[in-house]
Amino acid sequence: MHSKAGLANPGLLFVLPALLVLAMLIAYPVAYTGVLSVTNDRGDFVGMSNFAAVLAPRVTTQALWNTLWWVAGSIVCQVTLGVATAILLNQQFTGRALLRSVTLIPWVIPSIVAATTWAWMFHTEFGIINHMLTGVGVLPEPIGWLTRGTTVLPAMIAINVWKLFPFVAIMVLAGLQSIPGELYEAARMDGASYWDEIRHIMLPQIRPVIAAVTLLLVIWALNAITIIYAITKGGPANRTLITPIQIFRLAFENVEFNQAAALSVLFFAVVMVIVFTYIKVVASQPGEVQ
Amino acid sequence: MKAMSRRGLLALSILSSAAGLSAATAGEVVWWAPNWGEARARELAKKFSDANPGTTIKVEVTVSNGLPERVLTAMRSGSAPDVIEVQHGWVNGYAQGDLILPVDDVLGDKSDFVKAAIDYVSWNGKAWAVPYRIETHGIIYNKDHFKEAGLDPDKQIDTWEGLVTAAKSLSKNGRFGFGITGGGEVGNTIFRSLPFIWMAGGDIVSADLTKAVINQPAAVKAVEFYTNFYKMGLSPKSTLENDGLAVRRLFVAGTVSAYQSGQFDIPAIQKENDKIKIGAMMIPSPDGKSPAAILGGWSYVIPKAAKNPAEARKFVAFLNTVENQGFYTDTFPARISSVKLPRFQDPMLKAFADMLPHGRPVPIHKNWVKIVQAYFDGIQRILLGDQTAQKAMDQAAEEIQVLLK
Repeated sequence: MHSKAGLANPGLLFVLPALLVLAMLIAYPVAYTGVLSVTNDRGDFVGMSNFAAVLAPRVTTQALWNTLWWVAGSIVCQVTLGVATAILLNQQFTGRALLRSVTLIPWVIPSIVAATTWAWMFHTEFGIINHMLTGVGVLPEPIGWLTRGTTVLPAMIAINVWKLFPFVAIMVLAGLQSIPGELYEAARMDGASYWDEIRHIMLPQIRPVIAAVTLLLVIWALNAITIIYAITKGGPANRTLITPIQIFRLAFENVEFNQAAALSVLFFAVVMVIVFTYIKVVASQPGEVQ
Repeated sequence: MKAMSRRGLLALSILSSAAGLSAATAGEVVWWAPNWGEARARELAKKFSDANPGTTIKVEVTVSNGLPERVLTAMRSGSAPDVIEVQHGWVNGYAQGDLILPVDDVLGDKSDFVKAAIDYVSWNGKAWAVPYRIETHGIIYNKDHFKEAGLDPDKQIDTWEGLVTAAKSLSKNGRFGFGITGGGEVGNTIFRSLPFIWMAGGDIVSADLTKAVINQPAAVKAVEFYTNFYKMGLSPKSTLENDGLAVRRLFVAGTVSAYQSGQFDIPAIQKENDKIKIGAMMIPSPDGKSPAAILGGWSYVIPKAAKNPAEARKFVAFLNTVENQGFYTDTFPARISSVKLPRFQDPMLKAFADMLPHGRPVPIHKNWVKIVQAYFDGIQRILLGDQTAQKAMDQAAEEIQVLLK
């Protein structure tokens, strides 16, 4: 079918309103952030000085490392736990429908509610976690989960994993259910064990799902602010400060919108590199991401 | 589908016109008042409206969480209310940012106000807010715990050594003698630790705001004194996650025997556990030196973007009378003649009233929020055991010095 170019094409007119809304809601803020990053609060051009100001403090490097740990730790655990849960939920057993619904609960609880609840559960004095662990004798005395440098970031990652592994499980479960039964039958004819079925049928078949879900998880983890901010605000001593929280602090606690914009631009560049590398690596494997 | 979307548009336009209505109309003064004083605010609003037919006061209730951001956004966007209650420390930033109107005419006789409060709201030779509420911390303690530890519950502890000794005798049977804060909002720990630095003769930055002095011997000694309560096991294990509210809860639960806070905690403690016999004393100072505290509290400001500045002035003048200041405040009024009202003669409040003359304003600097964050990070590094007090404060001083340029 040939379409005539220019005004004769009514399709363009139809998408125009949507394009305008998109431009207003996405392109304008992005462009404005770019402008803010190279100006001061009076709107004068200041070159790269905002970038220099945000890169100078050592907390910026610390926040970037924390962010990478936070993202890597969250994603590895979310995907592993999510896939394992999906394989389990794909089996035939009584109460399966109920268990599938229950699994979803962490995902549907609002992040702020979950974060506040976990903060109390992890509390050294009042927390149920310490109460239970000391009660049965696993710990001789309460541990400051959120106040020890070695446990606070892992605790945050654990909460994030708990919050989002159901999402992975449900997506992967959908993928598992679309695998034709003949594949399993053929494998069993060849004498495959259950472990072989997981390794040679399930995992290869759901790889595209895992690839897509992981990309979403990476983007979400890079933007996640609620859980950490609600529990530790980035502390103690910046041990859980991730770059998005640093940007939030700069903008809304220090009212340095220009420096916050500069850090956003830098962070955007880092995120883009990570996301593109990921897409390239996964997409370069033939037949994985369509 | 079309009909539905048309109805949706209609709803949207009704909503937006309703939103337009919530802004002030002629004769209306919109007043942002915090939730803890809501009932009294409504009473005052009614009183004023009754006495001034044609002017209505619309009370919009605010909450402390996120309030600085909300106020700043409202004032910067030009859609501000007519009167806002803000903390003293925020006023100077608004004045320098050309966001509020001077209020010298409404304030009246400055000598009738506590000086530190006037210092907070002054800039460039003008007064930019009317302070109405002031407070400082004192020490709140559990009298029964004192008796059990063999301490005299009615005797003021005068020295730092005395406080440490008392905390040591109180810390037993799962109790902690003196609860300090090391978590939550930065302000919690600034309010509790900076006074000790002042008492020792130190400061975070020099008086002319050009040099970070937090790593000098006097300040480091005070920081060590503060953090040692945790290091010596006299403050709970959860110190690094505790803000003022968490320490109060531990006090209510009987886990903490004494802690620093304002008089506003007393009704809350009584409500949650009426068995506790509460005592209050002044914060002890090092031998031979005077106590110190941060003077905190609230002021009325009139935004430049106010729709009815003339009526707002009239209303703030009404709120600023001796009676109304005394009626409205949760703690102490900023006017000296209001403090004489019977309400403030409660013996329980004596220690807090005695602390008031020692109350000081925090320095006014555009990077103050970042400066105290750097200091607070240092405190947390000490509590975590990462660094000694000297090392942590050296690093904080280095970071603060950059912010003073």
